[in-house]
Amino acid sequence: MSEPILRVANLVKEFRTPRRAPGLVGSVRTLFTREQNVVRAVDGISFEVAPGELVGYVGRNGAGKSTTIKMLTGILVPTSGEVLVDGLVPWRDRVRNALNIGVVFGQRTSLWWDLPLVESLELIKRLYRMSDADYRRELDRVVELLELAELLPTPVRQLSLGQRMRGDLAAAILYRPRVLYLDEPTVGVDVLAKERIRSFIAEMNRTDGTTVMLTTHDLRDVERLCRRLILIEQGRIAFDGRVDELKARYSMDRQLVVDIPDHGGPVVLSGAEEVRREGPRVWLRFDPRKTPAASLVAELASRYAVADLVIEEIDLEDVVRRIFVEQSGTRT
Amino acid sequence: MSLFAPAMTHLARMDAQTVLTYRVNFGLHLLGRLLQIYLLKVVWTAVYAGQAEVDGVSLATLIAYLTLANLQTWFIYPEAVDVFPNRVRSGAVALDLVRPLGLLPQLIARSLGRTFAVTLLVGASLPIVALVGSLRPPASAEAAGLYLVATVLAYGITLAIGIMLALTSFWTLETSGVGVLFLFVNQFFAGALIPLWFFPDWLRTVAELLPFQTQAFLPLSLYFGRLQGGDALHALGVEVLWFGLLWIAAIVVWRRAIRRVHIQGG
Repeated sequence: MSEPILRVANLVKEFRTPRRAPGLVGSVRTLFTREQNVVRAVDGISFEVAPGELVGYVGRNGAGKSTTIKMLTGILVPTSGEVLVDGLVPWRDRVRNALNIGVVFGQRTSLWWDLPLVESLELIKRLYRMSDADYRRELDRVVELLELAELLPTPVRQLSLGQRMRGDLAAAILYRPRVLYLDEPTVGVDVLAKERIRSFIAEMNRTDGTTVMLTTHDLRDVERLCRRLILIEQGRIAFDGRVDELKARYSMDRQLVVDIPDHGGPVVLSGAEEVRREGPRVWLRFDPRKTPAASLVAELASRYAVADLVIEEIDLEDVVRRIFVEQSGTRT
Repeated sequence: MSLFAPAMTHLARMDAQTVLTYRVNFGLHLLGRLLQIYLLKVVWTAVYAGQAEVDGVSLATLIAYLTLANLQTWFIYPEAVDVFPNRVRSGAVALDLVRPLGLLPQLIARSLGRTFAVTLLVGASLPIVALVGSLRPPASAEAAGLYLVATVLAYGITLAIGIMLALTSFWTLETSGVGVLFLFVNQFFAGALIPLWFFPDWLRTVAELLPFQTQAFLPLSLYFGRLQGGDALHALGVEVLWFGLLWIAAIVVWRRAIRRVHIQGG
């Protein structure tokens, strides 16, 4: 690994919020107490990213993804730990760090709502002190890659979500930042627009060597774009490694969800393991390459009084849960 | 600073353009102001009950004063008080914080842009304003100059107060209450409803110890030539003092606020 462009060591972020009792009486009481809840959104994270890497940073809602990104971008000050981005401590050198990075928050827009898209890009030109020639050249490039020509004179509020996201990407990349943080850039966007966004990210990474941290909970973004994946769960790193390795381990697995009323004990089947149980419903995991679904279902039906069953692909949540089960043995 | 000037100018222009897109909004605000000016005129005319002067202030001067005071508190009003806390509440402030331009310069630029647009629109509506209230030129060229300087300082003072109030949203996450309080206190102590001339002594003392009088009462006292010579310089001195104090305070508040940032939402 060459000299890392991102270095994160023992990063911790705690949030303090007033402790709220439920109900109206509780709300009133909250006004007079100083009790606080401390939430560790990020709980001792360390990783390094080499220049030009495209890293998927994945976790469930509230796992600490966005909080990490906000510390890397210099928006939030960590409770403890270190962050270095291209040699700078982001929150101490906020403005200089901002010149090196591009940020897209999928849920928000940095564009001026009421003005034509081009006005926001003109602002980028001035904020990042681009020369006229650089601006013209880069604008031509993003306009072509993101197909923005017709959108430039359109007020941002009239753009669809996918178009707006392309506008936001253009604004984040126009000045060729060394590091690009994409926080759920495909959230709520239709399939076609998603694909266009993905190919743009891949292109930036390939041609400019832009380092990309991609936060998402759409695993397809990661599959399409990233070689490396960092999984985060409850503020900690649950997995950090190659995507293909993770896929080989888990993603071929299928999940059998079955309802067996009047059966309290464990469900024993060869080639499948029980992972969860709620009342009569049992979740079983199996690898269809080893155990064909048909034979599994046949065995199941011969042994138990099955009321209903469904076979599902394993989603990210299951992968994360499974990794945790394997790693700690206790936390689920 | 010069490095940032093009970005700040563009930011100002963008916000000015945004104001100009919402002309209906402006029209409604204008209507409200006109109504207030009209009602003040009616009430004060009744209070004067035919007397030519009260405490050396003629009714005509008073109406012209109130008309201008209401315009003055309008275009000086720091929009940041209304706009910024919403950005903190929604988490959009995250995007302000990743720009390679400090948050304070951004707020200053955007505020100047809005004021520019509002001033243009107010200027265009002066004929109607004159019809509803009354307008009068400054007492002299000197009075006009002093008024301009005082108004520029007043703008800076009010902006510093507005930014400080806006930044409290980093702690409380809610400042609509603060905004409303500001609106009342500001209007009253700026002298936009009753000039400080008519305040009882103790209240006048209170008003003179607060920065709000710099917004309408002091500049307009200069405009109408009621403060001259040493008194005029004293008034400017008071504004300069407030300007310095409040900007130092605003910067201190900002330094603390930034460590408290707590972005809402994912």
